[in-house]
Amino acid sequence: MRPSIGKSLAAAALATTLLATAACSGGGDTEEEPTGPVELSFWSWAPGIEKTVDLWNSQNPEIKVVLSKQAGGADIVTKLLTAAKAGNPPDLAQVEYQSLPTLVSNDVLADIAEQTKDVKDKFPAGAWQQVTLGTEAVYAIPQDSGPMMLYYREDIFKEMGLTVPKTWDEFAATARTVRQKDSAKYLTTFSAADPGWFAGLAQQAGASWWGIDGETWKVSVNDAATKKVADYWGGLVTEGAISGNPMYTPEWNKSLNDGTIIAWPSAVWGPGVLEGNAPDTKGKWAMAPLPQWSAGENKTGNWGGSTTGVTAASKHKTAAVKFATWMNTDTAATDSLITSGAIYPAASAAQASQHLQAPPAFFPQQADFYTSAKTIADSAAGFTWGPNTNVTYDTYKDAFAKAITDKTPFSAALDVMQSATVADMQKNGFTVAG
Amino acid sequence: MSATATTGRKRKGTAPRGVPYLFLAPAIILFTLFLLLPIGYAIYLSFRQIKVSGLGLGKGSRTEIWAGLDNYASALGDPELLGSALRVLAYGLVLLPIMLGLALLFALLLDAPRVRFGRFAKLAIFLPYAVPGVIASMLWGFLYLPAVSPFNDVIGALGLPEPNMLGGGSVFFAIVNIAVWGGVGFNMIVLFTSLRAVPGEIYESASIDGASDLQIALRIKIPLLMPSLIMTTVFSLIATLQVFTEPLTIRSLTNSISSTWTPLMKVYRDAFSQNDIYSAAASSVVIAVVTLVLSFGFLRLVSRQAFGGENR
Amino acid sequence: MTTVLHDQDLATVRAGARKRTSWLGSSILILGAVYCLLPIAWVVAASTKNGSDLFTTFTFAPGTGFLENLSDLSSTGDGIYWTWLFNTAIYAGVGGVLSALVSGISGYTLAKYRFAGRNAIFNVLLAGVLVPGITLAVPQYLLLAKVGLTDTYWAVLLPQIISPYGIYLARIYAAAAVPDTVVEAARTDGAGEFRIFARVGLPMMVPGLVTVFLFQFVAIWNNFLLPFIMLSSDDKFPVTVGLFTLLNQGATVPALYSHVIIGSLLSIIPLIALFLTLQRYWRTDLISGAVKG
Repeated sequence: MRPSIGKSLAAAALATTLLATAACSGGGDTEEEPTGPVELSFWSWAPGIEKTVDLWNSQNPEIKVVLSKQAGGADIVTKLLTAAKAGNPPDLAQVEYQSLPTLVSNDVLADIAEQTKDVKDKFPAGAWQQVTLGTEAVYAIPQDSGPMMLYYREDIFKEMGLTVPKTWDEFAATARTVRQKDSAKYLTTFSAADPGWFAGLAQQAGASWWGIDGETWKVSVNDAATKKVADYWGGLVTEGAISGNPMYTPEWNKSLNDGTIIAWPSAVWGPGVLEGNAPDTKGKWAMAPLPQWSAGENKTGNWGGSTTGVTAASKHKTAAVKFATWMNTDTAATDSLITSGAIYPAASAAQASQHLQAPPAFFPQQADFYTSAKTIADSAAGFTWGPNTNVTYDTYKDAFAKAITDKTPFSAALDVMQSATVADMQKNGFTVAG
Repeated sequence: MSATATTGRKRKGTAPRGVPYLFLAPAIILFTLFLLLPIGYAIYLSFRQIKVSGLGLGKGSRTEIWAGLDNYASALGDPELLGSALRVLAYGLVLLPIMLGLALLFALLLDAPRVRFGRFAKLAIFLPYAVPGVIASMLWGFLYLPAVSPFNDVIGALGLPEPNMLGGGSVFFAIVNIAVWGGVGFNMIVLFTSLRAVPGEIYESASIDGASDLQIALRIKIPLLMPSLIMTTVFSLIATLQVFTEPLTIRSLTNSISSTWTPLMKVYRDAFSQNDIYSAAASSVVIAVVTLVLSFGFLRLVSRQAFGGENR
Repeated sequence: MTTVLHDQDLATVRAGARKRTSWLGSSILILGAVYCLLPIAWVVAASTKNGSDLFTTFTFAPGTGFLENLSDLSSTGDGIYWTWLFNTAIYAGVGGVLSALVSGISGYTLAKYRFAGRNAIFNVLLAGVLVPGITLAVPQYLLLAKVGLTDTYWAVLLPQIISPYGIYLARIYAAAAVPDTVVEAARTDGAGEFRIFARVGLPMMVPGLVTVFLFQFVAIWNNFLLPFIMLSSDDKFPVTVGLFTLLNQGATVPALYSHVIIGSLLSIIPLIALFLTLQRYWRTDLISGAVKG
C-alpha cells in the first residue's frame, strides 16, 4: 500500500506551491517564511498515531511534524493552557470536542476558517458544528467521533434468558431481572467519574447544556431532558438494580473479565477498551444500538472523540492546517489511523473505509459491526459545548459521587452542576443568561 | 559530646568579611530564582483575576485585571476549603501519633539488646520510603478495592461480611494507612540513628543498677530522643498539611473522595483542572501561612529543645 | 570528637548485655516488616501476570507473564520506558550531587562563620520547607518560560538543586563534624578560605552530604508535578510522568495496568540498590540534631 514515488513528489510539489501561495497572499504578519522546510510540533495521546505522522513525514520532507505523546483528555488541556500562557504551545494538538470552547476562550486555538473552506463537506454536520461552536469560525478539524452504543455479553445474556433492551424502560427491567437471577451480577454500572459518558447519554435524550444567543451564553445543564436521564439512572442506583462504582478502575476491569458486569453503554471505540481490559472475553461481546427513550426512535449521543487544533501562537498555521486536513481526510492517513490507532474517523468517506468492512478483531462474530456503527453514527445529535466544561465536569464528579454515596436524587446533583457552571461563568465576566 | 562548647568558643583567625556571603551565593541565588521569585509571582497572581467580555470567544476577549482581595475573600469564605482544612487537621491528629508512635516503637526495638531480626526488619520497614507516592497509592488501591482485594478474599472465605475500605467512613483511614506505610520507616531510621549516637555506657550503668530493658527505654532513651522526636514531628506535620498525592490517586477508584478533599487538592483542582491560577494562588498563600503558624506554634510550645546545639 | 559510634562499636559495647532473645519484641518487628513488605510483594506477584490474570487470579499467586510484560513494556513507543528511566537517573543523580554540594558549602558557611545576617539568612532558607511544591509549579513554569527554558533538562534540574532541608542538615552536620580547631589551624597555615572548605571541611562532611544526596535523590526521583508541568517532549520525561501518561490516556484507551505495574517495580529497584550500597555512609541522625561533636 505504499504510495508511489511520483505521488509523493507530486504531494511535495503541491505542498511547496501551497506554502508559497500562502506566503505570497500574506495571511498575517507572523505567517511562515516563503521557502525552506518547516517543523511543526504536535501533541497527541492517540495510540499508534506515530505511524500516521511517519507516513506524512516520508511524503512531505518540506513540512516535518514532530510528535510528542502526552497524557490524554483533560491533562493535555491543562498543559496546553499553561503552555499558551507562557507563549510556547505546540503548533498542533489533539483536543477533545468538549474542550474546544475552553481553549478558544483562552485564545489557545486559531480560527482556521480561511484555510478550511473545502474541508467542511467532508464531515457530518454534527461533528462540524462542534468545531465551529455554532459560529462562523472554525477552530479544529474533527479527527474521530464516539457515537454511543450498547455492548453486552452475548453469552451471558443467552445463558440468563435475557433479550437485548430496545428502550430504557426495557433496560431497567433487564437490570432488575439480572439482580433477581444472580445477586452477584449487575447489568451495568453508573459512573460518577466519567462526565463525558453522562453527557453522551444526555445528548441522546435531547439535552442542550450550552447555547449562544447573540452575545449571550445560555446555560441549561439541568434542562428537562437531562433531569429525565439523571433521575432514571439515580432510581436504578438507589434501588440497587445497577452498581454505582466508577468505571476505569481495577475493580471495573475485573467485573468485565469475570462477567460481574454484563453490559456497557459505551461508544464505537469500546472494543479497543474491552480488548485491553478483558482480553479473555474475546468473541463473547456483541454490540447493539443504545436503548431509546421512546420505542421506535433512533437516536444516540457522542462520548469522547477528538479533533486536531492549530494553535494561535503557531508560526506556521498554513502548514499546520495542511497537515491536520491531510491526517483527518486523506484516505491513506485515515486508513493508517484506523489500522494502527483503532480510531473511528469522523470524516464521512473514511467511515466507509475498506478497513472498516471487517468487524473489530475482538468482535469476530458480528460481521456487520461497522455498517451498524455508521448508521448509529449518523443518528448522533449535535451539541454545543461551553467555555468552562472543565468546571461542569469537575462538579459532575463531586456532585454525582456524593449523590450515590448519600442516596440523594440525581436531579439535585444536576442543579449543583448548573449553579456551579453559571457562577463560574459570571465570576469570569461572561455574559450569561442562566 | 562537646559540640556546643567547641563551636561557641571565640575564633582566633578571622576570615575576610565577604567570604561567607560568597560561599552562600549559590544557595541564595538559586533560592531567590526558584523559590522567592515564584512565591512573589504567586502572591502577585493572588491579587489578579481574569475578566472576560461577552461570549469570550473572540481574540483578546480575556484580560487580566486587579482583583483586590476578592480571591482571598472567596478562599477564606469557601466552606469547601474550611471543610478540607478541618479534615486534614483530623487526619494529622490520627496520623502523627500512629506513625511516630510506631516509628518510636520500632526504633526502640531495633536498639534493644535482646531483639532478633533487626537488620532484616530495619530494611523491610524502610523500603516503602523508596516508593513514590503515586505508585504507593496505586498499590494500596489494588489492595483496597473490594473486588480485587486479597484481604476481602480471605475475609469472604472465612464467611465474614466483606468490608469496603473505600467506603465513606473508612476511606479516611485508608488514606492514613498509606501515609503510615510510607512514613514510618523513614522516621524509624531517624530515631534509631539518634539512639545509636548515645554512648553505650549510659545504658550499661543503668543495666547494672538492675533496670529492665523496658525501664531503660522509658526512663532513659525516650527523654534522650526528645529533640529528634520534636523535629520529626514538625517535619511530619508540614508534610501532613500538604497531603495530596495519596487522596488524589485513590479518588479515581471511589465515590468517597471529593475533588476538594484536602486543601491542596482544591489548589490543584483550581490551578490545573479549572485553569484558575489566581484563586489557586490565593488559597496557597493562606495554606502556607497556616502551616507556618502551626509549625512555629508547635515549636514554641515544645520550647527550644529542637534547635539546641550550635544554633544560638 | 567522640562523633558517632558505629554499629559495630555498639555491638561490642552491648555484647555483654546480651541475654536470651526477646520473642515479643522480635515478633513485633517481624509484624512491622510484613506490613511494609506486603504491597511490595503484591507488585512482584502482579508483575508476573498478564492482562487478564491480573484481575482474575488470586492476588498473591504468581503468574507466568513476567518476561512477556517486560518485552511489552520495552516495545511501547520504541522502548521509551528505558529513556524515562535514564532521564530519571540523570535528574536525580545530577540534581542530588549538585544539591549536596550547594547544601554542603551553605551549611558549612552557616555553621563555621560569624557574620551579619547569618540567622536571618538561615531562617529564610529554612522557611522554604513550608511552601508546598504544587503552589510553586505554575509560577516556576511561567517564569522559566520567559527565559525559554521550559521543556529542557534544566527546567527540571535547576529548581530542585536548592533544598532547605538539605541546608539545614548540612549546617547541623558541619557544626558537629568539622571542629573549629582544625579550621583555625588551616587558617594559621595560611590556607585560603575556599581551600579550607574544599580540603578540610568537605571531606569531613562526606557522610552527612551522602545523606543530603540520598534525600534529594529520592525527592527528585519521586517528584511528579514539576516535571509534569515543565516538560512536553515525551523523550525528556522522567519515569513517574511517563507511567502517568501510560495510565491516563483518556476514556477511549484502556489503562495499561500490566505495563504500569512492571514499570513501577523496575523504577523502585534502582532506589533500593542505591540504599543498600550507600547504607554504610548513611547518616540520618543529623536530621534530629543528635550528632554530637
